[in-house]
Amino acid sequence: MRLPRLLRTASVRLAAGYTFLFAVSAAALGAFVLWTTRSALEQQMTGRIETEMTGLESEFRSGGIDRLIAVVGERGHGARALDYLVQDPEGRRVAGDLPRMGNRIGWNDVTSSDHGPGEHDERESVHVLAKLLPDGTLLAVGEDSGRIEQATDAISRALWAAFGLTALLGIAGGLVLSAGFLRRIDTISRTADAIVDGHLEQRIPESGTRDDLDRLARTLNRMLDRIAELMAGMRQVSNAAAHELRTPLTRLRQNLENALAETHSAEPAQGAIERALAETDAILETFAALLRIAQIEAGTRRAGFRALDLGSVAETIVEAFGAPIEDQGKVLVSSIGKGVRIRGDQELLTQLLANLVENASRHSPVGTRIEVTLAATQAGARLTVADDGPGVPEGERNRIFDRFHRLDRAAEGVGLGLSLVKAIADLHGAHIRVEDNAPGLRVIVEFDGATEPLRDP
Amino acid sequence: MRILTIEDDAAAALHVANGLKQVGHVVDHAPNARDGLSLAVEHTYDVVVVDRMLGGSDGLALVKTLRSTGVKTPVLFLTALSGVDERVAGLEAGGDDYLIKPFAFSELLARIEALARRPPIATVQTEIRVADLQLDLIKRTVTRGGRRIEVQPREFRLLEYLMKNAGRVVTRTMLLENVWEFHFDPKTNIVETHISRLRAKIGRGQGEELIRTVRGSGYMLRAPS
Repeated sequence: MRLPRLLRTASVRLAAGYTFLFAVSAAALGAFVLWTTRSALEQQMTGRIETEMTGLESEFRSGGIDRLIAVVGERGHGARALDYLVQDPEGRRVAGDLPRMGNRIGWNDVTSSDHGPGEHDERESVHVLAKLLPDGTLLAVGEDSGRIEQATDAISRALWAAFGLTALLGIAGGLVLSAGFLRRIDTISRTADAIVDGHLEQRIPESGTRDDLDRLARTLNRMLDRIAELMAGMRQVSNAAAHELRTPLTRLRQNLENALAETHSAEPAQGAIERALAETDAILETFAALLRIAQIEAGTRRAGFRALDLGSVAETIVEAFGAPIEDQGKVLVSSIGKGVRIRGDQELLTQLLANLVENASRHSPVGTRIEVTLAATQAGARLTVADDGPGVPEGERNRIFDRFHRLDRAAEGVGLGLSLVKAIADLHGAHIRVEDNAPGLRVIVEFDGATEPLRDP
Repeated sequence: MRILTIEDDAAAALHVANGLKQVGHVVDHAPNARDGLSLAVEHTYDVVVVDRMLGGSDGLALVKTLRSTGVKTPVLFLTALSGVDERVAGLEAGGDDYLIKPFAFSELLARIEALARRPPIATVQTEIRVADLQLDLIKRTVTRGGRRIEVQPREFRLLEYLMKNAGRVVTRTMLLENVWEFHFDPKTNIVETHISRLRAKIGRGQGEELIRTVRGSGYMLRAPS
């Protein structure tokens, strides 16, 4: 598949364009050369014929018809001889070898078949000037225009050959040049892909020629350095936040735990401490979820992507959540295609599906039917979690992935579960959309294979 | 048992040490990586508890060094870094388990005890028996009092994990990680539901409950005394 790709490249198109333009101008030039050569040759020919005619006319004037016949008879046998005709007023040929002309005066093109018997037999096109002499005799002088055809044919053959060679060289040169160009462009896009996949330390190699592409590579590398710096800064800040904020919270939790251990007898205090512990846990959990979303959005986890069986992930979730959902008086059913494989992070995809299933079960009444569907698509896989619960109003549907967005403020949870789902889907290059399940809600995650090719790096 | 904690946060270290001493363990504490390493190499501990962030140095490096000197003591990492990458890095460096801060003390205790009594890897078990409950690890069958009990594959794994840790508390998180391989905290009571179904299956028609709930901690499978 190398050639078709090569043909699609910008440089080949450019080379082809230049070759085409060059060919068109070469053709125009050739046509012009051909035309001027031809008209010069034709002018020469008419010149020769007219000079000869003048000469013969003066021979006639000085020596009469007999002299003319003698001269014509003499001249008709040279190597580059012209063709002649002397025709008496009765229309009989008296000298020369051109066919009889009748009374056609002036410039004519005639076909001569019997010209020079024994020399060559083919019919020839002859350019002829005929004049009526004062005594009614018709004198005609002509020249074989085939010579001009031969000359112009030779020139045009040479021009065609040059034209073909030019086009060939142009195309071949374009291909060679663009193959080199393409290799370097390929390196740049491979590097960019690797960076997208989470290998942030990758840089574009420079060829050292200090040309346009090198300048581009250098600029891109500087940009990447800057991004890496920012990323490192961000990670450092979030690590610091993780440490600096979680440590005091952890101590608070420990203190509460200690207090709880020491207040066996004081029942009211125990209850208060237990509630405080639960609140602390909720704060810590929100905090952990935010950090986790930020980490996933950083994209570094793509480096750890493996080929995995999405079907077995789905089966694990359905099996794990089936029983508790049944206990809630709801139903979890599934239709899971076999051998649906994609590249990704198994742990995160497990969480993605778990969050979707939990979301469906948490916001739906008893008797709700939740359905998990996994099917292979041409490009990858389609994972659907649908329920026939109350659903989400159309205007709200796109906002359900927003951080801290809660449709029902009274419901438990802080509204980060679906944000995490979105972050995980984005990490996998998957498209996520929310539809009306009429009734209920349907969330579709479309893994289109664009960023998770099955080749191993 | 004898436990070494390597932790630069004095308050956290004290909390852990006090808690462990209260339940009868002997605790040594090192406030930095250097002291921790020399203690871990010089003495024999049942478990070493290492904080990932040790004031500038990383607990990972410490454990790598420890392993390179041939010390095979089980290591439990504690960390405020909750990323999965960090957990994998910890296990690859030679850690045996990984606990994310903050944790309930009961969680730490359960994990330390599970680590300390981990059976040597060389012995291949083919069956586990607790009281009259028997698990055939080859045929994947469960019998109680000679009577065959049908369980789902995941229930088998759940029962296997409980029986391997018989007499010790296993927490909900430990079960999620080891039985389901879920490294997140589902809001759905998956563990509770599956435990209750398993109880119904293995306890049907029998006297005392084998799987007990340990309030605020988790579960414990134990032969009736």
